[in-house]
Amino acid sequence: MGLEEYKGVYIFAQQVDNKLSNIAFELLGKARDLAKDLDTDVTAVLIGCDVKGLADELAAYGADKVIVVDDPQLKEYRTEPYAHALSSVINKYKPEIMLVGATAIGRDLGPRVSARVATGLTADCTKLDIGDFPLTPVPGKEQKHNQLLMTRPAFGGNTIATIACPNHRPQMATVRPGVMQAIAKIPGAKAVVEEYNPGFEPNNNYVEIMDVVKSVVDTVDIMDAKILVSGGRGVGSPENFKILEDLAKAIGGEVSCSRAVVDAGWKPKDLQVGQTGKTVRPNVYFAIGISGAIQHVAGMEESDVIIAINKDDTAPIFEVADYGIVGDLNKIVPELTKQIIAAKEAKI
Amino acid sequence: MDFSLSKKHLMAQSLFRSFAENEVKPLAQEVDETEEFPKATVEKMAKSGFLGIPVPKEYGGQGCDPLTYVMCVEELAKVCGTTAVIVSAHTSLCIDPIMTYGTEEQKQKYVPDLASGRKLGAFGLTEPGAGTDAQGQQTKAVLDGDEWVLNGSKCFITNGKQADVYIIIAVTGIVEKRGRKMKEISAFIVEKGTPGFSFGTKEKKMGIRGSSTYELIFTDCRIPKENLLGQQGKGFNIAMHTLDGGRIGIAAQALGLAEGALETTIKYVKERKQFGRSIAQFQNTQFQLADMATKVEAAKMLVYRAAMAKATQKTYSVEAAMAKLYAAEVAMEVTTKAVQLHGGYGYIREYDVERMMRDAKITEIYEGTSEVQRMVISGNILK
Repeated sequence: MGLEEYKGVYIFAQQVDNKLSNIAFELLGKARDLAKDLDTDVTAVLIGCDVKGLADELAAYGADKVIVVDDPQLKEYRTEPYAHALSSVINKYKPEIMLVGATAIGRDLGPRVSARVATGLTADCTKLDIGDFPLTPVPGKEQKHNQLLMTRPAFGGNTIATIACPNHRPQMATVRPGVMQAIAKIPGAKAVVEEYNPGFEPNNNYVEIMDVVKSVVDTVDIMDAKILVSGGRGVGSPENFKILEDLAKAIGGEVSCSRAVVDAGWKPKDLQVGQTGKTVRPNVYFAIGISGAIQHVAGMEESDVIIAINKDDTAPIFEVADYGIVGDLNKIVPELTKQIIAAKEAKI
Repeated sequence: MDFSLSKKHLMAQSLFRSFAENEVKPLAQEVDETEEFPKATVEKMAKSGFLGIPVPKEYGGQGCDPLTYVMCVEELAKVCGTTAVIVSAHTSLCIDPIMTYGTEEQKQKYVPDLASGRKLGAFGLTEPGAGTDAQGQQTKAVLDGDEWVLNGSKCFITNGKQADVYIIIAVTGIVEKRGRKMKEISAFIVEKGTPGFSFGTKEKKMGIRGSSTYELIFTDCRIPKENLLGQQGKGFNIAMHTLDGGRIGIAAQALGLAEGALETTIKYVKERKQFGRSIAQFQNTQFQLADMATKVEAAKMLVYRAAMAKATQKTYSVEAAMAKLYAAEVAMEVTTKAVQLHGGYGYIREYDVERMMRDAKITEIYEGTSEVQRMVISGNILK
């Protein structure tokens, strides 16, 4: 059968405990753009048990159609029944594009499904476009149009690869959470809901779930944090670290510190960044009240974005900072926290 | 040209030696092990006048020449590197700049207490970003009415927290020099206990472990206008000239460490027997010791010459740099060989030589690394 039979942009609408994950809305946002370029529609695949009620929410975020696979076997995520459900949907409905969130669930599910339906999968994409493949025409080779161009960082972010899947369908990608934008909620939107059950025969690949543990992590390895709010001596006192903690909480980051703070006994040594502490590479590093001696900078200069707040405009930290504010951290940090909270609430 | 010590010098030397043997040596291991500043020893040294040797009598000192002071540091270092550097930093880096650059009021106010040892002195130049490149200062001093306001920090400060009087180097502005923007650097006298002046980290060191090495922190620290030392903007020259003198002190410390290790080793190789005879009877031992003794003697001549130069010449940068460079490298080599000649016992903390080897390494680094000394020397040769 021909590739042209495959139509539509599909997303896997991840839910946990019958609550849709944010990534589902982010994927819908991106899927809308792709569908517009291809002049087609957006379908969400909702897999679970008693999840039909979530369909309207998917419609509100841009799904034209929702395919619901509802079965007691699908109550909690397990590789086998979920892979069976999604690959059955693909085989029946023939989507042109199938997007899955690169969450722990999606990274497990995506490759299983792509192998079952014998197509290509690009993992952990950060950019998706519709375009030509090859990007520039190669003599003697057909240039295909309307291909999904999937871009992802490889080798630890040191190179960027753009990958296409010209000869197989669907074109599958897992997409990094937090990269795509959900659309503003459309109140009262309704989607076409179609129920489909491929039938579930438990086999020896079915995992038995013994226990689900939801842990609350209170000590965090700062080396794993994506956002670090780091304080130096300029914070002034251990009590004053509260304003940094508030900012970290608002922005979903962790608090770290400089050696001076550890020496003063304000914070434990395992939060220290620098030559004699830990080397960190978060996406965002706030250096607050940190002068930026090389002994500290050596431990954080690889951060993607460095934001410095310091009252001394000649502090060396500004040499490595992408963004800097000269001023009193006691005024700036709470204001920043306030604005971040406000911006987040506006989005919801 | 006279290479023999005068009667006065010989008397002073024997005084230092007996003090070192009786008061310092018995505590050297404990000071190293506990990393505790030998406060009681410093008080005894104050009583004996060791904390103001080259200071004129009218300012409460002993009125001796630089060579006498150098011999004191040397004798102390023979038994304890820590005790030697306490005296050296206090005398060369704190008293000396006040004596050289201070106003009469400043001298009267600070020197008698320092020279008598009622107060201890220290010198704050180095910062995390400004070691060898001392121009890279970040600490600022801003004149506000009739007070200077200091902000910033200093690191690796010898006698930190123990000292009462600190010479602090800070940036007081930006000046245009030949079209280039340069920092204007000045020197200040800052007293412990001034609000806004606190102490940060105590460094844990490889050697001279009883020496109190601290970070100094200045947060809106206000000092009187009259605590500017020398002219505003002359701080860098003051610091460099002070270090010239300090280097003679460190050279003396290195010399003492090498001599102490050599003496200890000579005694040991005569006692230790292997293959039925003392190891002093093996030619390898003899030749090693011959080399060590020769280098120590050469270092001694350079150190004493630098001390004499300080007494008789206006500038003595090169003499001081040569003395420190050579004595420090000899100290490192001689102490390393001393450990080797002690064999396995040399590696045990119960014996003194491993401590001497750990103490020796810093003499190649502080008050200007060996590389800086080579810069000073070659810069002078290639003028």
